[in-house]
Amino acid sequence: MNLQRYSIGTWVSGVGHTGLILWLIVGWGMNNTPMDFEVTQVSVVSGAEYEAMVAATSPNPVAEPIGEMVTPDVPVDTPAPVVEEVAPVTPAPTPAPEAPVEDTPPPPPPARPEPVAPPADTVVEPTPPEQPAGAPDMPVSDRPVERPADRVASTPTPPPPPEAEVSPQAQTAVVEDAPTETTDPVIEEQTPTAPEETATRIVSPDEKPSSAPTSTPRPPSRPSALVPPTPAPTQTPEPETQTAQTPAPAETPAPSTTDTEAANIAAALAAASGAAVNQGPATSGPPLTGGEEDGFRRAVSSCWVVDNGAQWASVTVTVGFSMTQEGKVAGDVELLNFTGGDQATARAAFEAARRAILRCQSSGYPLPADKYEHWKDVELTFDPSTMRLR
Amino acid sequence: MFKKFMALLLVVFLGAPVVAEPLRLTITDGVIEPLPYAIPTFQAEIAGSEDMAANITRVIAEDLSGTGLFRQIPSSAFISQHIFDTTPAYPDWRAINTQALITGAVAVQGGQVVVKFRLYDVFTGAEMGEGQQLVAGVDGWRRLAHKVADQVYSRITGESGYFDSRVIYVAESGPKDNRRKVISIMDYDGQNTQSLTQGNSLVLAPRFSPTGDRVLYTSYESGSPRIYMLNVSSAVAQPITTAPGNMAFSPRFSRDGQRVIYSLETGGNTDIWMTDIATGQHSRLTNAPSIETGPSLSPDGSQIVFESDRSGTQQLYVMPVSGGEPRRISFGEGRYGTPVWSPRGDLVAFTKQNAGRFHIGVMRTDGSEERLLSSASGGFLDEGPTWAPNGRVIMFFREALGAGGGPSLYSVDISGRNLRQVPSNGFASDPSWGPLLR
Repeated sequence: MNLQRYSIGTWVSGVGHTGLILWLIVGWGMNNTPMDFEVTQVSVVSGAEYEAMVAATSPNPVAEPIGEMVTPDVPVDTPAPVVEEVAPVTPAPTPAPEAPVEDTPPPPPPARPEPVAPPADTVVEPTPPEQPAGAPDMPVSDRPVERPADRVASTPTPPPPPEAEVSPQAQTAVVEDAPTETTDPVIEEQTPTAPEETATRIVSPDEKPSSAPTSTPRPPSRPSALVPPTPAPTQTPEPETQTAQTPAPAETPAPSTTDTEAANIAAALAAASGAAVNQGPATSGPPLTGGEEDGFRRAVSSCWVVDNGAQWASVTVTVGFSMTQEGKVAGDVELLNFTGGDQATARAAFEAARRAILRCQSSGYPLPADKYEHWKDVELTFDPSTMRLR
Repeated sequence: MFKKFMALLLVVFLGAPVVAEPLRLTITDGVIEPLPYAIPTFQAEIAGSEDMAANITRVIAEDLSGTGLFRQIPSSAFISQHIFDTTPAYPDWRAINTQALITGAVAVQGGQVVVKFRLYDVFTGAEMGEGQQLVAGVDGWRRLAHKVADQVYSRITGESGYFDSRVIYVAESGPKDNRRKVISIMDYDGQNTQSLTQGNSLVLAPRFSPTGDRVLYTSYESGSPRIYMLNVSSAVAQPITTAPGNMAFSPRFSRDGQRVIYSLETGGNTDIWMTDIATGQHSRLTNAPSIETGPSLSPDGSQIVFESDRSGTQQLYVMPVSGGEPRRISFGEGRYGTPVWSPRGDLVAFTKQNAGRFHIGVMRTDGSEERLLSSASGGFLDEGPTWAPNGRVIMFFREALGAGGGPSLYSVDISGRNLRQVPSNGFASDPSWGPLLR
């Protein structure tokens, strides 16, 4: 290659552009080390197993799409007849369907207390109550009810009550007669995804309003210290066993066989969906938002006692420390540098800063656990100049 | 070649490790509130020491809380009792928001008082400094308490304390038109007052020496104002030979205690002079037809601040001791007087009179950032500021006008907070805060 044919400008341009491109590739210096997650997620599970296990372990991600898909599709596809079938299912979800389900298998009623009782952790209990609290979800299910009501108005009035009775039957019938039942399009869509599990899924869509909200509120929450909730991922699969309560037979084996795998998959799903956050080293997501930074800043400020008559009020100190995932200080706070005073006054300024940091960490600082990598190490500069006596 | 170079660049860039950056934030807003501390009553190590232990504990708490920077947590809030020389139950103290824990023990034996104490930072769970043991005669128990309080104050704030110090002042008694004035001395908190002069003549403006063993003051004993130097321990006073003149007044020691700076009136003109006490040599620092008085030296002794009416009104000026043109530093409305340079060297305290109100204030030595710390009106006047040895507190006197009125001593934090009256027996004026005792 003849280098002389390239002018200096070409070299400069080439090097400059290359550096810029590489800089962009590197990602502005952000750190991302999600190695562990990728390995556990993808390599072990196949498609069918993955979905089956997901259906068994984590109701939230799977239940949501299915539930949403079913409710709109069914009534739209089949206006008159199907709507009647679906409509009774939706209107009577809590009272009608549950009662028959309880009647057919006596175990179900005990099945509900079972999930509540077995969880040794008190934390698990809140989730079961949430589904009975699914009662508040009833208004959500009532919305689809209104549509069938309008259509039913054109049709004879008596049908609704019998329809309510039909709905539970339809569930059992769907499970067993899935291949032979009339609602071919709907069943066919579900059978390919998880043939054995469709029964549970179809049952759940009837109660989807209860399951859907439980999944949505958890992920969006970004509590300060979610590490204690680390058991939470284990909790989420438990509610799934509850969904399996009604069709108890199929699901009980699922969790037992896939203990570790299910946990891994649940964690993987949580990480992938960005919902659950606490597991393992977080990936390098977006940095802290201004609001999140302000929240942390305010938390520390509220404990920073400034003696604006002291000499150290003219000293700016920068301190560094590491944080645990609970949002608490790990180790000690160190003085990194200071400006505006001598060693003695800087020491006093540092002590005041350290007291502030340690005093307000009692319940953990309000930092998003999913961005732990961004605040694992902290450098705070305490500048009292605006509070100095003037 | 070019491709290789580009490939090399690629490898270098991609191969370079990406270092995680810490979260960096700047905090500029804090809170201003007293630091809560707990001081369980010191243990009596020897039977019969209980009262002394309780008294010493009480004085320490009064010292700290009196600053306005600390707030004592009542013992009724304590969750656990602390045994001296054992590790505190930090969670119990954190639970009541204690930030500093002071523990101690007292023993009275053989006419001596022995005090031991330790200071803990509750939230860091560590002891601040090391434990100390102090010994004094039974009569000096208050000083022991002050010294413990000074140590606590110093360890927490990073500044020296001022509790184990004394104030010299003019104690006044009798009717206003025939007031008897006596040079007196007391602890900083108004305790242990003693008279140093007989009260046979009018005395004014006593000023401590840097070492606290001598006092300069102005006396009319000879008929005209003259400067005297009083030995505190012996209470013996002697006149100082000043430059020839009619009146010498407003004396202060230099920082080394070897020279006296004062105002001297000669031929109707008042200027500032300096006299070496040992050699008797005099030097004239100002030479103007106006009235220059109230000089105060900077901590390093290189400059003086004084008041002058050379501009037509009474204002503050700064000039080098070695000579030079005075520089005016006060430009606010009203009249400024009695300037005193802070021991820290960063501020000048003064008395300001404006629109019928009297103020004690501070400003930087270049005249900037003037702040008024007190305000008196309606028959009161504030005057005569003096600095605590650590430059944190100013003491002054507030005089109630009228036939039955008289002066009283007050102290105020330089932040303008914590204005308090200093207890005294009768009227008191012209305070001068001495250094920390040894």
